[in-house]
Amino acid sequence: MWEVKVERALTADERWDLVDKITKEVVKVGAYKPGLRDALASLTVNPWTGIPFAIAVLYGFWTFFGEFAGLFTDGFFVRIFGTHWIPWLSGALEGLPDWLFTILVGDRAVFAEDFVGDPCFAAGGVLTTGLFMPFAVVLWAVIALFLVLAILEDTGYLPRLAVLVDTVLHKIGLHGFAIVPTLVSLGCNVPGVTATRLLETRKQRFMMIALLGVFVPCGAQIGMMEELIPGLIGWVFLTLAIGYLGFGWVLNKIWPGESPEILMDVPPYRAPQWSNILRKTWSRTRHFLMVAVPFVLLGCAIVMVLYATGAMDTIASGLEGFLAAVFGVPADATASLVVGFLRKDLAIGLLPIDAMTNYQVFISVILLTIYFPCLATFAMLLRELNWKEILATLGFLIVTIFVFGGILHLIGLAGGWY
Amino acid sequence: MDNNVTKFGSMFAAIMGIAALGFGIMEFVGEEWGPLTAEGGTFTAWRAIILLCAGVIYLSSVTNFIDVRQIVKAVAASIMIWIVAAMDIWAMIAASIPSGAEEAGEPWFASGADFLAAYGPPYMPAMYLLVPSLVIIYFITRRRIAS
Repeated sequence: MWEVKVERALTADERWDLVDKITKEVVKVGAYKPGLRDALASLTVNPWTGIPFAIAVLYGFWTFFGEFAGLFTDGFFVRIFGTHWIPWLSGALEGLPDWLFTILVGDRAVFAEDFVGDPCFAAGGVLTTGLFMPFAVVLWAVIALFLVLAILEDTGYLPRLAVLVDTVLHKIGLHGFAIVPTLVSLGCNVPGVTATRLLETRKQRFMMIALLGVFVPCGAQIGMMEELIPGLIGWVFLTLAIGYLGFGWVLNKIWPGESPEILMDVPPYRAPQWSNILRKTWSRTRHFLMVAVPFVLLGCAIVMVLYATGAMDTIASGLEGFLAAVFGVPADATASLVVGFLRKDLAIGLLPIDAMTNYQVFISVILLTIYFPCLATFAMLLRELNWKEILATLGFLIVTIFVFGGILHLIGLAGGWY
Repeated sequence: MDNNVTKFGSMFAAIMGIAALGFGIMEFVGEEWGPLTAEGGTFTAWRAIILLCAGVIYLSSVTNFIDVRQIVKAVAASIMIWIVAAMDIWAMIAASIPSGAEEAGEPWFASGADFLAAYGPPYMPAMYLLVPSLVIIYFITRRRIAS
């Protein structure tokens, strides 16, 4: 028998040593003949074969997402809103006072005959762009993401992906299961923050929440990127991944606390049950509709009030020089960046892409992603973190914007890409 | 599995490995050759990397194909090809449904002819690997019977 004197808490290494001792004494290993499924399970966690396999799975993930969202958004909803709903609404509400028309429908200039652009994004009103974004763009992106995520979970692949990335994530003080909140956040940051409860220590939870809030764009933003800048989306993700790992490494060094090893339960591969997949997808999508959509509408209303009162012009012109000097974004994009404090996805839609160089669009989208988290996510931070951690998250956010945005600006200047 | 099946398995893995490597290189080059196209897109480089990796994994399974740890490599490489080909098919389906018209009064859905045309060639390289890669199901079945 083993005698453990409990005079102090064991360190993580001591606990593992104890586990090894116990295992050696009580577990008898007999002859084992692996089946094909067992062999596939081992192969997908071996880095040499597992990483290429993971690349294929993630390729499937993103392609399915892009095509699914594109089918509904470009195939039907752009026309429903752009050709039918918005023109009809602007005609029906034409007699409203200017301020109310601006809030509900949008800028009257968008409905002039000589307007060049897409009224779905440019109008900005609560009943036009405010409805177009969540129901025509974001909803389909979110459904696709949650559907694929549920399939990966139920087949048993997600825990294997966690094992595969465990070594990398340990370097930044997290462990493999951090991939779960990260992937969930690609749909919506709100359940992503909740999913950080999987992590063991307060340090890991704080780090994960801070990294999610800054470096992981949600389905709404990704949907907008896919719609507006499909050619740049790969660069945006690569840059955000570098930021996620780099700033995670720094946070791990400076934030006190433990990052222990964990034993991961990896289930066998199974054929998924479609009823479960659909139930999970619906439950998460419903959560998105209930939590995120009201914030989209509220964000649109606040933005249009700022435009209607002229406050937006004042704020934008005040920040113009500063943003141009620090981040290299043109004056035309300043208003969009201000909108980003309220709605990141709406802000991406409002970027004057035609008037910007590719690098300016790239840096603006990165800035919008690493900005202040959306209001719904911020509400979750208040629930999940203590005040010290919230202040630290905000500090981390501000430092990240300036350091990361500044570095990207310098790289752009050095490369002559402006 | 008997010796002949093992030999056939090794040949299958070698041919598929070389074909996947070749198609992976074509994806990197990114041109159109008759009924085969590897022209650009958001994920061209990803597709090329996946096909090249699938090719290498197939080739690594050539020796001792009777061993489950070797067959499973060919299974994994085949799944990788199925994912890429399935996404190519899914892209065709998604493109075949809406008419693409933006004006009021025009049809919402593609006509029968346009719908069918969306499924015509040229096809992406992974589509040509899809059918031969299905041969792996034969080896999985033989193995199951043998054990």
